Amino acid sequence: MNETSSTSDQSSPRLKSLLPGVEARKKLRKRRLFKDNASRWGITVAGFGVVFALAMIFVYLFYEVAPVLRGATITPLSTYTAPVADDAANALYIERYEELGLQYGSSGMVTFFELESGALRAQIPLALPLGSRVSSYAAAGPGTHITAHGLDNGQVLIARHDYDLSFPEGSRYITPELEYPLGTDAFTLDEQGHSLELVAIASRTRGREATLLAGYTDDKRLVLASLSSRTNMMTGAVVVNTELHTLPPVPGEPVRMLLDKALRSLFVVDSAGWVHYYDVSNPDNAQLVQSVDAGEGSPITAAEFLVGTVSIIMGTQNGDLSQWFLVRDESNNYSLTRIREFNSHGAAITAIAPEYNRKGFVAGDASGQLGVHYGTSARTLYLDQFIDQPVAQVAISPLNGRLLVLGENGQLHSADIWNEHPQLSFSALWNKVWYEGRADPEYIWQSSSGSDEFESKFSLVPLSVGTLKAAFYAMLFAMPLAIMGAIYTAYFMTPKLRGIVKPSIEIMEALPTVILGFLAGLWLAPFAEDHLPAIFSIVILLPIMMLVFAFIWTRLLPASIRNSVPDGWEAALLVPVIIGFVWLSIVLSPFIEIWFFDGSMRQWFTNIGITYDQRNALVVGIAMGFAVIPTIFSIAEDAVFTVPGHLTQGSLALGATRWQSVVGVVLPTASPGIFSAVMMGFGRAVGETMIVLMATGNSPVVNFNIFEGMRTLSANIAVELPETAVGSSHFRVLFLAALVLLALTFVVNTVAEIIRQRLRTRYSSL
Amino acid sequence: MTTETDSMNTQAGDATEGKLTTPFAGGLAENRAHSVDMADETTKIEVRDLELYYGNDRTLKNINLLIPEKKVTAFIGPSGCGKSTLLRCFNRMNDLVDTCRITGQIILDGKNIYDRDVDVAELRRSVGMVFQKPNPFPKSIYENVAYGLRLQGVHGKRDLDEVVERSLRAAALWDEVKDRLNDNAFGMSGGQQQRLVIARAIAIEPEVILLDEPASALDPISTAKVEELIYELKEQYTIVIVTHNMQQAARVSDYTAFMYLGDLVEFDHTEAIFTNPALKQTEDYITGRYG
Repeated sequence: MNETSSTSDQSSPRLKSLLPGVEARKKLRKRRLFKDNASRWGITVAGFGVVFALAMIFVYLFYEVAPVLRGATITPLSTYTAPVADDAANALYIERYEELGLQYGSSGMVTFFELESGALRAQIPLALPLGSRVSSYAAAGPGTHITAHGLDNGQVLIARHDYDLSFPEGSRYITPELEYPLGTDAFTLDEQGHSLELVAIASRTRGREATLLAGYTDDKRLVLASLSSRTNMMTGAVVVNTELHTLPPVPGEPVRMLLDKALRSLFVVDSAGWVHYYDVSNPDNAQLVQSVDAGEGSPITAAEFLVGTVSIIMGTQNGDLSQWFLVRDESNNYSLTRIREFNSHGAAITAIAPEYNRKGFVAGDASGQLGVHYGTSARTLYLDQFIDQPVAQVAISPLNGRLLVLGENGQLHSADIWNEHPQLSFSALWNKVWYEGRADPEYIWQSSSGSDEFESKFSLVPLSVGTLKAAFYAMLFAMPLAIMGAIYTAYFMTPKLRGIVKPSIEIMEALPTVILGFLAGLWLAPFAEDHLPAIFSIVILLPIMMLVFAFIWTRLLPASIRNSVPDGWEAALLVPVIIGFVWLSIVLSPFIEIWFFDGSMRQWFTNIGITYDQRNALVVGIAMGFAVIPTIFSIAEDAVFTVPGHLTQGSLALGATRWQSVVGVVLPTASPGIFSAVMMGFGRAVGETMIVLMATGNSPVVNFNIFEGMRTLSANIAVELPETAVGSSHFRVLFLAALVLLALTFVVNTVAEIIRQRLRTRYSSL
Repeated sequence: MTTETDSMNTQAGDATEGKLTTPFAGGLAENRAHSVDMADETTKIEVRDLELYYGNDRTLKNINLLIPEKKVTAFIGPSGCGKSTLLRCFNRMNDLVDTCRITGQIILDGKNIYDRDVDVAELRRSVGMVFQKPNPFPKSIYENVAYGLRLQGVHGKRDLDEVVERSLRAAALWDEVKDRLNDNAFGMSGGQQQRLVIARAIAIEPEVILLDEPASALDPISTAKVEELIYELKEQYTIVIVTHNMQQAARVSDYTAFMYLGDLVEFDHTEAIFTNPALKQTEDYITGRYG
């Protein structure tokens, strides 16, 4: 050795250098510099690209959600004198295509005119009986087109306007029509022939057709008629059955009457601001149930049903607007209840026009302001001066695109209205909302229904709670298994066995979640329902069984048997124990049910008041737990495995047992890694879609009951996005749900990363 | 005492016979017949016919050795000669290596530590170990020292305080860290960390302390402090030190064992090894001809 080294030392100056020449090295340096720069810039650009792409996802979601935050805008289009200026308008309507306006005049003339210009299109007089004139007017709710005209002879004429579409020369032409659904003959409501000061009408179109009419006569009687019509199939003649009733007298001076389309309730508003609620579900025995001071000292100047005739909007002399509906208490008694208020107009409300397909309305007041309000979300989307006159009448088109406003001076104003997303507000999304027909304010997600009268319920609380619930139970199942397994595999298991176990569990990650969801929903859920005692004994007793087995193995068995199994292979011994116990639990399950739970544990739960759904959080917890375990296991195992050997050796050298070293040194040192493993698992559980979609039942409930299902944000998006109308409020609220989901995972991951960094600095320089 | 010395001699003799048959041993084996005068010493650890295999590699070849009590015994030899492996046999740290197999005996206070009924954790308590690279736990200085005590079931705050202070004083560290006992141990310098690890080891009152190249990762000043500390500790503990540094072995140890390729080549009083080695091979190593 010495000889060789000395030789080389002496001969080296004479040897030809094998390094490239000066020029070549300069070139090489240049090339290296270029590679360095290129890779640095490439990596920088790619890194920023990732951040940018993520930011763009956020931006896009915001872009889709943003319109929800906008209020309404109203743009005046044209102003013209009403076509029949000498005839006071009882009501105004706009036709569906926003081409024609319609005015019911107090003289009995029905006038159709061009909405843009006010040009007269048609004038059709009502078929009033000779010598009579219209003394009062009522409509049967938005969209029905049915109007009732009270006459001064105690009779009522029921009319219906309609439009006939034709396409001469390829363009649309609308021909207005006037029909009489119960016949052209006026119908006698007051047999004594007194003039009808007020009328109200409601028609039931579903099921058995029926119509209810209420009238208030000039001699202060309240009369009610229930009409059922039958159309003769052969002749087309309408036969009307009538029953007349007189109601208990009104305690005040009525100014407005409203009948709901369920034909159950009559609301009479009096001049002092009180509302009297009559139960007319049995017209023979109609009763005054309740009188409420709805105006709170201020007379009610306008009252109108929202679509569906459940909610009433009351406008008062001093400009306040409030929503009311009947609320049922525990003993099935209804009472008219103030639900919410809207921004006050500050001047007497003179006209209210409800929207046709959702729970909004437009209100006009005595100072010429227009306000656009929405019931469910309690939002006032627009409140501004529109004309310098008191507003006499307001109409909104069926598609919420056009307004028609009549001033006190007989001027008609047509305006464009943009009001796409009134349903959503922070409180509608995140607070309890008192929905129509509910006993209390609640968190409900129920986004759509077949009817226009449906009140959309867009509370994100059930979905967020469901997301957290599913993730919580999945973590409850996965965390102990994955972390304990990771510690065992990384620290105690023999390398050979670890070489099999770790890749196997990591391969589980690749298992399509749709298969897990499918198995969970179609196999595990019914199986769990039938074998509840088995599930419980496996969850609770299996760990205990494993400890008992460990005790027997280490303490009771002779050492000769014990030593025949090499260290680190103990886990393999447990496999038959676990399989055996699981099998035993399943076999014994029916007997346990018979002995302790009267034959069915599920029924037993129901009997003690615990709701049990077949697809529940237990099933999801297990199924999603399986999906999450590989994530947690893999990262946690790496974290434990990479704890430097000199630390564990230091601990062992101090006389620690292996377990003491794990608890005292390995776990604290691996804690950042284990923590991020748990957080990754949680993030996965929060975003997981297929399993929750297939195994939860998708019922958006707000509770943490392990035996009930849930609906998660992700499953909700998956279920509803394909069937929502693009650009609708529902569509946008789904984007909002996606944003919430993204924000949730973003927050979880950020918090996790911060905690992890702090832990890491604590355990740094290892 | 005499019997032990006798038995040591006998063992050495046996070893010579055994060795002669092995091709690896060559001419080295007979050298171990060189007898060491240990009449004044009490034997703490006796190694008998120790052989250690990693898989099929025989890493330690028939080692026979006496370690005297309350003295410093140094193992020297080139890298890979098995000196650290031998050291780790004394507290059974080699058990952690799956492929490791041991035959022969190591007798600590009259008891073979490789017997079935030996509690390894308790063995390691009484045979403390300090590693080459300082390995404080990711805990505070105080908790590092208290760790071993807690393992032994000492939980009283007052007891812990006392032992922590006593151990840190014994490790000549107290004055430097007494104001920051709750700081993370990673904030200390390498030399301080190594002394902390020594304090941690002596906190649980071991009888033997194994030092595996304790100063190799330290700067000269820290090394000097650690060496001073070793010198003080031998009052109370039996110390076995593995070192690459011949000067260090000469400075701190009373006895020195020279190992080469798994063989114990020569064992003697340190001054004898360094001034008058019995074998040419030892002399070559000490004078830097190879290694």
